[in-house]
Amino acid sequence: MVKEVYFFTEMGYTAYPQEDARRRGYNNLMFPNAHFNPERAQQLYGMYFEELQYCTESGFDGVMINEHHNNPLSMMPSVNVIGAVLARTTRKGRIVFLGNVLPIHDNPLRVAEEVAMIDILSGGRVVCGFVRGLGQESIATNANPIYNRERFDEAHDVIIKAWTTPGPFRWEGRHYEYRVVNPWVRPLQKPHPPIWIPGVVSPESVRWAAEHRYPYVALAPPLHVTDEIYDLYDEVAAQTGFTPTSEQRGYVIRVSVADTDEKAYEEGRHFFWQLGTSFGVAPRHWLQPPGYVSRAATQSRREQARVGSANVTPGGPSLSYEEAHATYQIVSGNPDTVIKKLQRIIDVVDPGFMIFWGREGLMSHEVAVHGIDLMTREVIPAIKAYQPDREKGRQRRAVEAAATR
Amino acid sequence: MTTAEAAFTEDLVEVAGVRIQLRRGGTGVPLLILHSELGVPGWLRAYEHLARHFTVYVPSLPGFGQSARPDWIVSVRDLAAWVTWCVRDLKLSQPLPVIGSSLGGWVAAEIATMNAQVFTKMVLVGAAGLQPDEGHVWDYFMHSNQEALAQAFYDPAKSPEYAQYFGTAWRPEDERQAELNREMAARLLWKPYMRSHTLPALLRGISTPTLVIWGREDAIIPLNVCQRYVRAIPGAMATVLDRCGHLPEMEQPEAFVQAVLDFLAPRA
Repeated sequence: MVKEVYFFTEMGYTAYPQEDARRRGYNNLMFPNAHFNPERAQQLYGMYFEELQYCTESGFDGVMINEHHNNPLSMMPSVNVIGAVLARTTRKGRIVFLGNVLPIHDNPLRVAEEVAMIDILSGGRVVCGFVRGLGQESIATNANPIYNRERFDEAHDVIIKAWTTPGPFRWEGRHYEYRVVNPWVRPLQKPHPPIWIPGVVSPESVRWAAEHRYPYVALAPPLHVTDEIYDLYDEVAAQTGFTPTSEQRGYVIRVSVADTDEKAYEEGRHFFWQLGTSFGVAPRHWLQPPGYVSRAATQSRREQARVGSANVTPGGPSLSYEEAHATYQIVSGNPDTVIKKLQRIIDVVDPGFMIFWGREGLMSHEVAVHGIDLMTREVIPAIKAYQPDREKGRQRRAVEAAATR
Repeated sequence: MTTAEAAFTEDLVEVAGVRIQLRRGGTGVPLLILHSELGVPGWLRAYEHLARHFTVYVPSLPGFGQSARPDWIVSVRDLAAWVTWCVRDLKLSQPLPVIGSSLGGWVAAEIATMNAQVFTKMVLVGAAGLQPDEGHVWDYFMHSNQEALAQAFYDPAKSPEYAQYFGTAWRPEDERQAELNREMAARLLWKPYMRSHTLPALLRGISTPTLVIWGREDAIIPLNVCQRYVRAIPGAMATVLDRCGHLPEMEQPEAFVQAVLDFLAPRA
């Protein structure tokens, strides 16, 4: 059953000229930052922070934040700065970092220190996610993508050890080396904040999460690949020696809710605000710089499904707004409609927590706040009370899959 | 394999601890050819011409072509060490002449800075390893494989070997091979990009006679790097080829071979 529901927005910088992106064929990495206006950004930050604050006070269990670089998709180039602000401006609710981009850091102990500080500042409300970052992030920070996964693994190990093993100690690894690991500030939560691993269906990330018994959070995938994700998770968990429960399953879903289905459908278009895509546009060699996707993964059926899936990576293949409803990558409608659609997802996935990606693009502040109200008053109580039928959900999926074959 | 028009063999052989793809052909004293970061697509016309004067050895360097990629080769100097073992294990008589293209030129230069006994003479072709005085080395890792190959030629439309190897629709295996080459290149060249901070100082110690060949219109590594090499290596000479990009051995094979032969075998 769904125990917790969080709110998310990418905090898009919506004030850039879409026409220039259309002309160039991309809207990130190399897209000229002359289009960035700090005064406009100040207004947008103000609006987004007000909404996140409101979510924590009106019935969400917390908020999710993330990090992207060189990208108007998101005004959060430092997840820890955003998290630190929320730690002091909000009074309750978890702050879910999804997450720190580990491979781009040359000094991962800095991440350990910052997350520990924020955990204390927030009174132990941090959920700490780790991610590999988009391909563009490797280029923007010049972290060799060949070593992306190795650096992810090692940075994770050094951070966890810094939090759990009394210092000082030495660390002599392949990518990181410390004479002294002894960060003074350590997390409030013991042994450390919960670790969640978000992903866009990369089988290696799913496997890695299961091996570490970390919850895996699917980032708004098409519903038809979610069976595979969690089947793989369950398979690896069984080998690892545990039986996953809904506590290990998180799910991010775009939600547009309004008083009527028609109004919600129209407002939902704002999720596809970048040239009709949800994430923007970029050439493939930016999304997949050399070695970013391993050879093994390239050849796996799951990876091919992932790469071919629309709306799972910024700049990747993008379904139109209209088609994205069919794959459940967005749900829209009045509260009753949205509840029914979410129950459909819950039947398939049975997630312990859901994250409503609840506002995007040029949606007005008033519409966003009204949507938040409908979510907290009607949608969240209903889905938390819903008893999922995973067997039924899967059977329906199988029937549908056979029909579309 | 051996084809009628081009007598060469292509084998997978275990050399210096790595299973590599090795093309060789011709008769006479050995000539070692070290390919560029784009790999080597086949038995080029230039090799065929050179094979009339030498036994030409063209190994696909570890990580390129069908050669295995050992974990430990992570830098150009690691690769340079392996190349010296390769020469030893192939039992090539030393010293021997070498031609190194771009990445391969950098590898040859690194070897020559450490050991003057490996090469009789060295031909560096559009060699990587140095920062341009002006401009930048074109960034492979910001572009697609197809864009890189088009950029590497001055006039792809007029180059028969561009048409032969890269000009038709790529099959999935071509894509895969280009991506593998690109991965190995990223491993060796990502940062600092296509250059060494110490090579400029090390080149001064080279005593191997050196010819530097450059395409005048090289749009990967600008021509001013040719001058840098010539200034840095004592006694080095330069030959600049017109209407030619980053891969003279493919774009201007006749002029390229002539320049090489004039340098390596003046009596011919």
